Amino acid sequence: MHLRIDDLSKAWNGHTVLDDVSFSTAEDEFVCLLGPSGCGKTTLLRIVAGLTTPDAGRIALGGRDITALPARERRMGLVFQAYSLFPDMTAAANVGYPMRLRRESPAKIAARSSELLERVGLGGFGARFPDELSGGQQQRVALARALATEPAMLLLDEPLSALDPAIRAQLRTEIRSLQRGLGIPTIMVTHDQDEALAMADTIICMNHGRIEQSGSPRDLYERPRTRFVAEFVGRANLLPTAFVREALPGFLERRPPGAEATYELCLRPEDIVVVADPRGEGVIEETTFLGNLTRMTLSWRGRRLLVEVSGRNSLPRGQIVTVDALRGAWVCA
Amino acid sequence: MTVVVAAAPRSRSRPIAATLLLAVPVAGLVLFFLHPLATVLWRAVTDADGTPTLANFARLLDDPGLPRAAWRSLAIGLATTATTVPLGLCLAMALHRSRLRGKLLIRGALLLPMLAPSLVLGLGLVCLLGRNGLVHRLTGLPTDIYGFWGLLLANTLYGLPQVTIIVSAALARTPARHYDAATSMGAGDGRQFLDVTLPRLRYALLAAAFLVFTETLTDFGSAVVVGGSYRVLAMEIYSEVVGQLDFAMGATLGVLLLAPALLSVGLARLAKRRQDSGDARPGQPLVPRRNAPRDLFLGVVSVIALLPLVAIVATVAYVSVVKLWPYDRTLTLANYTTGMPDGYGPVATSLGVALAAAVAGTPLVFALAAGLRRAPATLSRPVQFLASLPAAVPGMVLGLGYVLAFNHGALSGVFYGSAALVAACSLYHYHAQSFLTMQTGMRQAPEALEDAVVTSGGGTRHVLRDAILPFTVPAAVSTFFYLFMRSLVTLSGVIFLVTPTLGLASVTVMRLDENGFLAQAAAYAMCVVIAGALALGAMRLLLHAFKDRHHVA
Repeated sequence: MHLRIDDLSKAWNGHTVLDDVSFSTAEDEFVCLLGPSGCGKTTLLRIVAGLTTPDAGRIALGGRDITALPARERRMGLVFQAYSLFPDMTAAANVGYPMRLRRESPAKIAARSSELLERVGLGGFGARFPDELSGGQQQRVALARALATEPAMLLLDEPLSALDPAIRAQLRTEIRSLQRGLGIPTIMVTHDQDEALAMADTIICMNHGRIEQSGSPRDLYERPRTRFVAEFVGRANLLPTAFVREALPGFLERRPPGAEATYELCLRPEDIVVVADPRGEGVIEETTFLGNLTRMTLSWRGRRLLVEVSGRNSLPRGQIVTVDALRGAWVCA
Repeated sequence: MTVVVAAAPRSRSRPIAATLLLAVPVAGLVLFFLHPLATVLWRAVTDADGTPTLANFARLLDDPGLPRAAWRSLAIGLATTATTVPLGLCLAMALHRSRLRGKLLIRGALLLPMLAPSLVLGLGLVCLLGRNGLVHRLTGLPTDIYGFWGLLLANTLYGLPQVTIIVSAALARTPARHYDAATSMGAGDGRQFLDVTLPRLRYALLAAAFLVFTETLTDFGSAVVVGGSYRVLAMEIYSEVVGQLDFAMGATLGVLLLAPALLSVGLARLAKRRQDSGDARPGQPLVPRRNAPRDLFLGVVSVIALLPLVAIVATVAYVSVVKLWPYDRTLTLANYTTGMPDGYGPVATSLGVALAAAVAGTPLVFALAAGLRRAPATLSRPVQFLASLPAAVPGMVLGLGYVLAFNHGALSGVFYGSAALVAACSLYHYHAQSFLTMQTGMRQAPEALEDAVVTSGGGTRHVLRDAILPFTVPAAVSTFFYLFMRSLVTLSGVIFLVTPTLGLASVTVMRLDENGFLAQAAAYAMCVVIAGALALGAMRLLLHAFKDRHHVA
């Protein structure tokens, strides 16, 4: 089912949290709401779930207006950051809970609970209580519970933020393949750009209650439209027009028309090419070897640039280099 | 083309069940707390015909005894605060910052005032140090505890556990790493107390001081038993109402008592709020260093503070099994059997009233705390204030309000002289603390769990049962027994509500004491103490059983 959001607004005590937000998602798309804390992404998710009432706007699911539908009737599967399992129920009872509320037969509940636990890799853990499970296992149970009623959509509210990095990476892949297998449309809220880049079909990047840009992970990374997106998704060197005119005049051609200060050139660190050459104008100031890649700070024509090269191609501190850029994108400053 | 956007309907955000959750307890607060309180205030500023006037206050100044009583209340309140806070601080230090053995004994002794209200402490004090007390009988010393010093002693002992609890909580919040840091910089124990411990206790000590001041100011139990000719405000209210049936003057004096209590509780709240910004997670438990002089000092202070408490309760127990106090000290159980002037009726009534207050109060307070969880600030702030306000209203003022509001007027036919009214008065007298306990306990329930129930298709009923209740059971058990034990022993709130046919244990103790039947009074007092101790034991068992059975951390 596809979701359509029109002109959604919300304010808490006079403070605008969502400002006229509209977007829509396709049938079995995985959408990430990405943004810094306080950007309104969680509020947006809660409005989709029906847990928060919008001040204005409409939500439609599969063509049906659900703006006024109470949360309990929306059939959304929700997974929270943490602490959302019933501590006094076993894993199986937690997964069976939504079905018990719907008065399914005990036999059916038992069968489906164990099937779902199997599906999230927790077959045989049904009799454990939440405090006997690891954080990652608890989130798997929460995921199974969210899927118990065959929801129209899956909503994930920073489900991996509270977990260890290793478990986080593993669950990313698992959630994604589970979602693909079920073909269930999913919205995930996250402030972690790596997570969004790794998991999403579409990223909706938000700031101050507005959508800054939406598109595929590649789109956002390679063609950021605003300075905010350029800096929030990946690392960016942002260069003013006057500098580009002097140092990299080849990029001026594709600059959109507008006043000097309206646009900046965004160069990703790996798109900058440095070559050791005593006649060059750049100097390597700092080199950090990170194994697979090397991150270097470069001083060039009075500016500092961040450069990333493959780990083997690192240059020593103090090395004189020539500098060029392969590609760049003009962004609204 | 523009699409007309209809504002989302808001009514659904508060379904009927959620509304009822707040409406019922708030209605209770309005009817059984706000309404009697307003009646007292109204009575103080009107004449017999209901015309507004300040004549009552003028009349108050005409009687030299009344302003004097006000000064005395103030004096005893300040003096008690000055003794109780340092002693309570020492006891808390002994419990949390010493290597003393026998901390269990200190904790045990501190339970006594919870079981034995100021009335019983006063009674024991009279039996021990009164003109005809045990000490005089045994040593011939001319003891006379009635008056200022008796009140000071009784109120200090009564306030000790409360100060100790508040200060202990603050001590437990101070992380061990602060002491480690101080030690690594070369600070000795004395320096650490001044630089690490005390600064973090400022607000706790302030809150404790205001609490003791309010309690002492409004205390009636010890005032009536050991006050003697040193008559304080609470005594004057009692004699105006019961002696002279002058309700207007009683109400006026009540307002006089209410004002400083309100101020004190307000300031205590402010202090408490500041203190809450401390460390939520204390981390490593603190192990005090070896320091013999410190432990010796704290040990001696603990003994000096707690020995009288134990002696007084022991004296009550002893007197209750004496034939004719103080003249014939033959041991007998007659006071518990044939010698009981009113039989066990008053004890049974007290138990019934206490049970009713706890049974009705716990769900009401639960509903209120649950209803406030997701309420908007515009609603939750005033309700929160209303629910905590009873802490500032002296029991006598509330009780007087009940007499004025329910024994006369439109509702008298329904409520007059009923045990239900006494139960309601006890419940709302102790509403603030019960509510606070419940609300604090309920904070353990994560909001995500509520959302999980709702998105799973559950309603308000399921949210309460599955998301909130499992986390709140310990708080609910504590609230239940708190209400039960307080209602069992309260005197000030119910003193105006008893009738010849409706006797209560605490009132019977007071009456028997007034008439010199100390042994019988002691027997009734012991019944209350024993019932309270049993309730306390039951609570501990229940909480323990719950902890073992559930997976709720």
